[in-house]
Amino acid sequence: MKNPALTDLELVLSPAVRRAARTFATALSETPQFKKFEEMSQTFLHDQAAQQAIAAFKAKQQALKPMILLNAVSDPERAELERLRQAVLTNPTYAAYQQAQGELIALCRAAEGLLTSSVGLSLAAACSTGCC
Amino acid sequence: MNTVPLPPNVSNATRRLADALNRADPIETYRDAQARFLADPQATALLDQLAAAQSDLRVRQSDGTVTQEDIDRARALQSQVQANSIIMTYIEAQQAADAYLVEVNLTISQLLGIDFASLARTCGC
Repeated sequence: MKNPALTDLELVLSPAVRRAARTFATALSETPQFKKFEEMSQTFLHDQAAQQAIAAFKAKQQALKPMILLNAVSDPERAELERLRQAVLTNPTYAAYQQAQGELIALCRAAEGLLTSSVGLSLAAACSTGCC
Repeated sequence: MNTVPLPPNVSNATRRLADALNRADPIETYRDAQARFLADPQATALLDQLAAAQSDLRVRQSDGTVTQEDIDRARALQSQVQANSIIMTYIEAQQAADAYLVEVNLTISQLLGIDFASLARTCGC
């Protein structure tokens, strides 16, 4: 329920907050974790073998979705799905991308945790649209 | 929970952002409303009662044992909450503070090229 006393104008960030938010973003972007994530993202995006492995797994998963929901997937199909999944997980480019993403997530969570403990409100929770 | 140590420039930037936020109107308003709420035993007790009633209602609805009395009780508590100005001011202040933080995340994310809140979120479910 929106407080009628609050207008959209009051949601506009103050110059001090905007400056501080930009400085924060810049500091994050300069970390090794962020730079590595950017690099691994590009490598992953342009790695044809990795993209094909993911596409094959997703296509199989989608095709088996009704059977999965009914718990009626045959053993050969289940084995094939698992084979395709392992092909993704063991792809070096994908693994490197996942690791880089994990390290960036850990950094962002640590920063957000410090922010939350100082402000008493969680930015991540405020932006959440529901249960993940 | 082990957290990653923050590099000095990130730690400093985070603290400066926290300081700036703590001086922002929506955050100050939220703090004031929260303090008034926590200082009011009637308001805190009422909200606790509503949370308990709603939780109980969900359980009873899922196992098919909910009664009209359960529903009426929850509705009555809901009405009392909505009529309590201390509680409603607190809720509205939190909504406004959250909306402000959404804008902060937008500013951060536009510069990063990726949604910061999504990276920072821990799944609590």
